[in-house]
Amino acid sequence: MNMPLAKAKVGQRAIIKSISGNEKIRNFLFTLGCCEGEEITLISALGGNYIVNIKDSRYAIDKRMANAIELVEAG
Amino acid sequence: MKIALAGNPNSGKTTLFNAITGKTEYVGNWPGVTVEKREADLNRKYRKIFPEGRVVDLPGAYSIAPYTSEEAITSDFVVNEHPDVIINIVDASSLERSLYFTTQLLELGIPVVVALNKQDLVKRYGNEINIDGLSKALQCRIVPIIANEGVGLKELIKAAAEAAKEGKKQPAPEFEGKGTEDEKYARQKYVKELTNKYLKRNRDPSQITLSDKIDRIVAHPVAGLIIFAVVMWAVYAFSIEGLGGYLSEYFNETLFGEIIPEAANNFFESIGLHPLLHSLIVEGAIAGVGAVVGFLPLIMVLFFCLGLLEDSGYMARVAVVMDRYLKKIGLSGRSIIPMIVGSGCSVPGVMSTRTIEDVNEKRMTTMLTPYIPCGAKLPIIALFAAVFFPESSLVAPSMYLVAFIVIAIGGLFLRKIFGWKSTSVFIIELPEYKLPSVKHAFRHMIKHAKAFIIKASTIILVMNTFVWFTQAYGWNLQMVEDSSGSILASIGNVIAPLLIPLGFSKWQPAAAAFTGFVAKENVVSTLAITIAASSEEVLSLPGGVLTQFFTPVTAYAFLVFNLFTPPCFAAIGAMYTELVERKWLLRALAFQFSVGYLLAMLVTQIGTIILYGKLATGFVAACIILILYAIVIYYLIKRTSSGKIQFSTVTR
Repeated sequence: MNMPLAKAKVGQRAIIKSISGNEKIRNFLFTLGCCEGEEITLISALGGNYIVNIKDSRYAIDKRMANAIELVEAG
Repeated sequence: MKIALAGNPNSGKTTLFNAITGKTEYVGNWPGVTVEKREADLNRKYRKIFPEGRVVDLPGAYSIAPYTSEEAITSDFVVNEHPDVIINIVDASSLERSLYFTTQLLELGIPVVVALNKQDLVKRYGNEINIDGLSKALQCRIVPIIANEGVGLKELIKAAAEAAKEGKKQPAPEFEGKGTEDEKYARQKYVKELTNKYLKRNRDPSQITLSDKIDRIVAHPVAGLIIFAVVMWAVYAFSIEGLGGYLSEYFNETLFGEIIPEAANNFFESIGLHPLLHSLIVEGAIAGVGAVVGFLPLIMVLFFCLGLLEDSGYMARVAVVMDRYLKKIGLSGRSIIPMIVGSGCSVPGVMSTRTIEDVNEKRMTTMLTPYIPCGAKLPIIALFAAVFFPESSLVAPSMYLVAFIVIAIGGLFLRKIFGWKSTSVFIIELPEYKLPSVKHAFRHMIKHAKAFIIKASTIILVMNTFVWFTQAYGWNLQMVEDSSGSILASIGNVIAPLLIPLGFSKWQPAAAAFTGFVAKENVVSTLAITIAASSEEVLSLPGGVLTQFFTPVTAYAFLVFNLFTPPCFAAIGAMYTELVERKWLLRALAFQFSVGYLLAMLVTQIGTIILYGKLATGFVAACIILILYAIVIYYLIKRTSSGKIQFSTVTR
């Protein structure tokens, strides 16, 4: 089942299916290891901000970015 | 021999730089603190190992292909300036991400030494890294270090010296798919394989940790805002009213109020110094510089507290909390970083706006960052709080609340006037919380104390001498009986009428505000020379001589005026650098001047009516000015919304 990161459940581990948005941001996310096929976990959803785990690090992202990241369930 | 320090943001480059050069550059436990490259020689201890070693600290980058302008500085330097050796600082607790950049650095042909930092975190997580294996696979030296404890640095410098001396071309890593269109995916795959092979993870990084639980409260939209307000109030109340205020009171009243002037008087009388020179030194230099240096303890306490906060990792969370609110005025969490840096000094604060890519957001942040009261404005706040509001611990911290409100409203107006739309997205790495290091905070404090003393004994001393002369002499270069006939009074009197609607139209406050544009500390020292030196009292005495010039309401207005008109020359220079175009600098200055003037006027006029039940002087003029303001703003907004002028150039 596909869904944007903004709609994911807290604590849910998922695989990134696609990232929309402009090239520059996508490239930046890529260097963090945030790209298609990689694992991402939503750690907390705090109003308009989302805390995620990518590889071994935590990042806070805003709603616009959380909506641009499309997920599929892991497994 | 040039040693370049390169690595991901917040991997500890500047900590390492400071440790091996003995410098005290600004370090924060949050990404994006370094925005310019910095150079220094190795300190003596390490020069023995690596003679002629000169270190270049570069801003953090995740990749050789730059995303932000400070990443571009890094890739330009390593690609174009050919350092003799690159020390690549790798955050071992985030190995996979860091190695992506490492593999790119290895392809430049320049010898690379990997400093595997944050070994303490690796241990805490129970992870293990096979350093020998990784070193063989990457064909470069790898040295495990803990930069903030100084562990492994000797070995690191030794390895760098060896690599530089050998001068062998660094072999590039070979992986399948290199040179093809999909190289970046191939590289990522290669890095992933390396990590899986040489890193043994004994912890699932996606597990909810204590740090995450803290974040859910601290970065929460409502709770986080309240916590931030309480933390800031506590820091400033402690600095201004608490320990810092207590020590400053002693400095001001006893040390610079009695002991030093009396000792100087006795000494100069005993050696029979010329009375003019005597008066210049005691009433000009000592009174003026003393009035500023008297606030040194307060500055030190403040920077100690801010140092602790920064080191804890809390500031990155503040950016998250503020992001959603700043979005509403067209800014983002990115803008909070310059503002936090600006609470020390606006110059580096304004400089760090270059981490913002959206040009409009950057302009707006550049214009608004100087509104966060900097260290130099602190003495003004503390002075007026002590004289007029000795019973209240809220007045001084309230200036910071006012600052945030002004930033919010000012931001809204700027957005309307220039028709800006928010396009930026926000992402920030959240470093793990750590127990703040007292050593770090202490260094932070000493650094700012030093800068403060240097400024007081140079630019402020010079200005004080100038102020003393101009208030003691008339235009005919004869000493005046009464300073109201002096050069300074006549200059002040030109400006003063403009300040009538603001409630402080005497020449002394006018002159003080004027000298404040050179450096904000001058506001205090000019008041000290022109007002206090002629009386026997200390300027900062509660209910003292300043009350002859201000009511509590106009005192607050004077504070507001000094805080929210354009900053000092140095900060204006930094604004020019960041805004690039002269027309934008002029717009910024016009904006800042209008805001400061309007705000001070409103405080005086409304405050006088509410608190004293009467109209302040200049009420009619104030009404006219207010109407003019409204017309100009209406016109500017209308012009933008009708689309006749397109100010914004959206970068992406």
